Formats: sequence, structure tokens, C-alpha cells
Amino acid sequence: MPDPILSVRKAVKTYGAFHALNDVDLDIREGEFLTLLGPSGSGKTTLLSVIAGFTPLTSGSVHARGGDISRLPPEKRGFAMVFQGYALFPTMTVAENVAYPLRVRQWKRQDISDRVAECLDLVQMAQFADRMPSQLSGGQQQRIALARSLSFKPDILLLDEPLSALDKKLRADLQWELKALHDRLGVTFVYVTHDQEEALSMSDRIVILNDGQIQQQGAPDDLYNWPRTEFVASFLGKSNFINSVVLKGADGTLKAQAGGHEFPIEDHNGTAVSGETCLALRPERIRLGAPGAEMFEGRVRQISYLGERCQVLVDHAEFGEILVSHPTWHVDIRPEPHLNVSFGWERGACVPLLSA
Amino acid sequence: MARSPLRIFFATGSWAILAFLVLPILVVIPVSLTDTAFIGLPKDHLSLQHFDTFLHSPKWLWATWTSVWIGAIVAAASTALGTAFCIGCWFLSDRAAMIARWVMIVPILVPPVVQSLGFYKFWVTLGLIDTHFGVILAHTLLALPYVTISVFAALTNLDRRIPQAARNLGAPLGMAIRTVILPSIRPGMFTGAIFAFIVSFDEIVGVLFITVRQVETLPKMIWEGIQESIDPVIAAVATILVLMTLLVTAATVARSYMSSKPKLT
Repeated sequence: MPDPILSVRKAVKTYGAFHALNDVDLDIREGEFLTLLGPSGSGKTTLLSVIAGFTPLTSGSVHARGGDISRLPPEKRGFAMVFQGYALFPTMTVAENVAYPLRVRQWKRQDISDRVAECLDLVQMAQFADRMPSQLSGGQQQRIALARSLSFKPDILLLDEPLSALDKKLRADLQWELKALHDRLGVTFVYVTHDQEEALSMSDRIVILNDGQIQQQGAPDDLYNWPRTEFVASFLGKSNFINSVVLKGADGTLKAQAGGHEFPIEDHNGTAVSGETCLALRPERIRLGAPGAEMFEGRVRQISYLGERCQVLVDHAEFGEILVSHPTWHVDIRPEPHLNVSFGWERGACVPLLSA
Repeated sequence: MARSPLRIFFATGSWAILAFLVLPILVVIPVSLTDTAFIGLPKDHLSLQHFDTFLHSPKWLWATWTSVWIGAIVAAASTALGTAFCIGCWFLSDRAAMIARWVMIVPILVPPVVQSLGFYKFWVTLGLIDTHFGVILAHTLLALPYVTISVFAALTNLDRRIPQAARNLGAPLGMAIRTVILPSIRPGMFTGAIFAFIVSFDEIVGVLFITVRQVETLPKMIWEGIQESIDPVIAAVATILVLMTLLVTAATVARSYMSSKPKLT
């Protein structure tokens, strides 16, 4: 692995007795799209603010290009930030906003106007150059904020929930655009969000934070398929949790006992220990069948129709409530309330979690 | 629309109160046009002689000019100091900053006589009695609370992320303040400066305490004029001030009306 472009070491930030960051270690690789994902109060915005230089650490350090930059003021770090709410300068036109970082760096007048035009083209806002920010819609302001932070060619772009104020449709469009922009420019993106879909769809790597600590990090599909803790399993997508007893076979294979059955499980994370273990099970990996067709018997309690899928709540005598995400076409069974059904899953669907 | 008695009662009441507020100000206008040599309504015909006296009296003109330039310096000084104070408090935004802002308001709460007595005692020690600098200093202190109230109101509407964005984009703190914060709070500073000018231009109690003969401001001249004679030139001065106020108000209203109309793009 090449040297990280930025490293955070043993970062601690306390506000009185509250630990906003509690011993965080993070390496950011050059050119990657890294997402810091967590619920509010998890420390993700604090971590971004520490990287940007707005929040001094209680202890620990931030390193970039081999040097310690913990004490460097924000203007000397050269990381651009796109703020939640955009923070465009209200007294300047769109073009003046985009030119600001270049003017601060005392670029030549001609170079500035060339670069501003280039950046406004990049975000398809060239025709708005002479407008004031207040005359633009949220999505347009978002693009200008992006153009402004990219104009001085920063190494790292920090994005603090940049899409959270936009409506759902626009957000989806801008997600594609941001991702395309990242692929085109090769700039390192550090993206903060509480929206797990956003994180899954855009990132090369996701870091999940909770209570000021990193819970797990990895590629989106790795995290989704192999959560290590109950928190990750329930925060990133939905999960059913099943209490089981795990047994290690003589040949090293693992089996779980639950609901009066024994089934094989895989231990991708090395989290499985023999004995009582909680298993995470994704709703879409559960098959529904006619009574007797699958391993477990249950009874449909409620259905919520979502178009391409439907969510089915199935009551099971031992597991309690099991959530199943069931396709609405090409299926053998159409669940209805009070229908008796059976359900089961393939090997590898159940993920053993670290015991709390 | 039916005119209920209650409605008529309130309408009449409102107009009566409005008249009560405005008439004492407007009464100086006929008085200033009097043809007599004492304060009263015109007797035989209207006359501009008292305006003429004012415009040709070096004493009156000098006092007016003194009040104007002292007011201008006070406006500039208190706006600069008040704005710096507010930006500092805004960045800190902690308990100490809140207490400091409250302390800053105290001059408004203290009775002017008490404050002027304080100025007098202190200015004697400093040797500032009967100097222009002494008056400017006192007026700046009196005007500061008004400036801080007005500037801080403008700052509370400013997004804290805006100076952060400026610094993130490469501007050191001083540059961020100059290029991003000051332009955003300019209306608040402007209002503060106007208030400061008016506070100084209008101030009489302090001036009476801390000046003797060297410094003559317009309010002091008017007050002395009333004391020693009943010269209608005072009414002429008052009329000029009222008319100037009306003009400035009209201009301000017109400007805000124009800017509130949607622009064609």
C-alpha cells in the first residue's frame, strides 16, 4: 500500500466529559473516495473539522505528507471543504466566490478568470457567473460551492453532508455527478454523511463511526456483507438478529444451532467464537416458501408493499419477528397476512457478530 | 365596511397620539418664520429673517460645524471600536463574551447626569476639560453601546461557516474578516455609525459638564440661547434640523423601497 496522503493518529477530542472522538486512527489513501458514516453525535463531523483544522485535538495528531500538521491553521493546510449549507459568500457574485481562493493566492487576473470559467464549466454553471448566491436554488448553490473548493486544485476535498439539504431526486442526481467528478479529477474525497445509501453508492471505502470510535472500515460491499458488530449490521442496511450457539467442527467448519436446527455459517471476519453468538441476517437473503419447503416455519404478520419488493414481517416461535425483503415478481409465493409460510437461507447468509 | 363605534374610537385615538408625537416637533416651523424678535407665532407676516441671522452668524455656523465634525469622528471611532469588539465577541461566543457585551450596554442604562458627573471628575484628572478631544472621547463612549447593538444584530445573522470557508480556502484570519465578514455586516455598521453620529450631535448633558468656553456645540448654543434670550433663531435652527431629518428619512425610505422591488434580470 502506498503512503497515505493523510493520517490521523490516536485522535481524542473531549468537550467536558463528552468524548467526541475517542482514540481514532485513520489513514486516507491518495485518490480514494472515503466516507465517514455515522449517526449524529458519532464524531464524524468533528473528525472532518479536525482534518480541516477548525477543531484542535485534545490529544493525538494529524499527519500529511510525512509532517505533523496538527498545529497548522486551516488556511495553510490546503484542503478544500464543501460545507453543509454551502457557506457561499453572500456579498460576492458566483464568479467572485469561485475566484476567492485564487485571489487569496494572488493569481494573475487572466489566470483567475480562465480558471473560474473552467470550474464553472466543470459543474455546468457557466451561465450563472454574474448571479448572487441568494438568486440560486439549493442544488445550484451546491455546485458553486463545489466549483469554489475545486478551483485552487486542492489535494483533498472534504465534504460535510453536502447533499443533506436537497430533495431526494436532486440528491440522487448529484450523487452520480459527484462520483463522476471524483473519477475524472482524481482528487481525494473525504465525505461525511449519515445517509447509508449515499455512503454505499459513492464510496471506495467507508469508515463507520459511533460514539467517537471507528466501528469498522472497508469497501461498501464488504461492510454490507460482513458486518462485525450489531451496530454496523443495523446501521448499514437492515438486519435480523438471531441468537445461536456456534460449534466448531473437527475440520474447522462452523455450525450454528438455532430454532431447533443446525446450519453451517462462514466466519469472514474472524469474529466467531464457540458458544453463544449473535448472528446477523439480511432481510433480502431470506427465502420464503410454502409450508414445509424451507427449514423454519412461520406465519406472516404484516406486509408493506414497496414496488419492486415488499417487506414481510414473519413471526417465528423462537426468533420472534423476522423481517424478510421479498421480490414482487418471479416468485413462488405471494405472502399475505396470516398465511403460514416457511423460510430459510443459503450458507453464508448468517454473519456471526462480535459479542458485545 | 361597517364602522363600529369601537373602530372609530381606536382610529381617533391613533391619530390623536400620532399628532401628539409629531406636532411639538412641527410647531418650530411657524415659530421660525415669525416676524417678531421673540419666540412666538408670526404676527403680521411671514419672515425668513431668523434664517438669515443664523446663516450669517459666525458663532452659530461655527457651533454647527463643530457638532458636525465631532459627530463624524465619533461615528467613525465608535463604529471601528464597536465592530472590532463585536467580531471578537462573536468569534469567542462564550460566557465571557456575553458578560462583556452586557457591560458594554451599561452606558445606556446609567442616567446621563450620573455619567456626566463621572466624566467631569475623570476628565479633570486627565486634563481633558474644555477640549475637543475630551468631548470626542466622552461621546465615543456614549455611542459605543448603540454601535455594538446594531453590529452584533448583523453578526447574529451571519453563518459561522462563512469565515470558516474563507480560511479553508486560504485566507488568514485578518483577511477573512476584511473580505468576508465586514462586507456582510456593512448595513449594521452603517446603522451603528448613524446612531453614533446622532448620539454625539444631540448630546448636551455631558458637554455642559465637561466644556467651558473653548468648545461650543450646537445643542450647547441652543441651550445657552434659551437661557440668555428668547431669540427665534433657535427655532430657525430647529426647523433646519427637522427638515434635514425629513430629507434623510425620505431618502432612506426611497432607497429601501427601490431595493425591495424585484430586479429584472
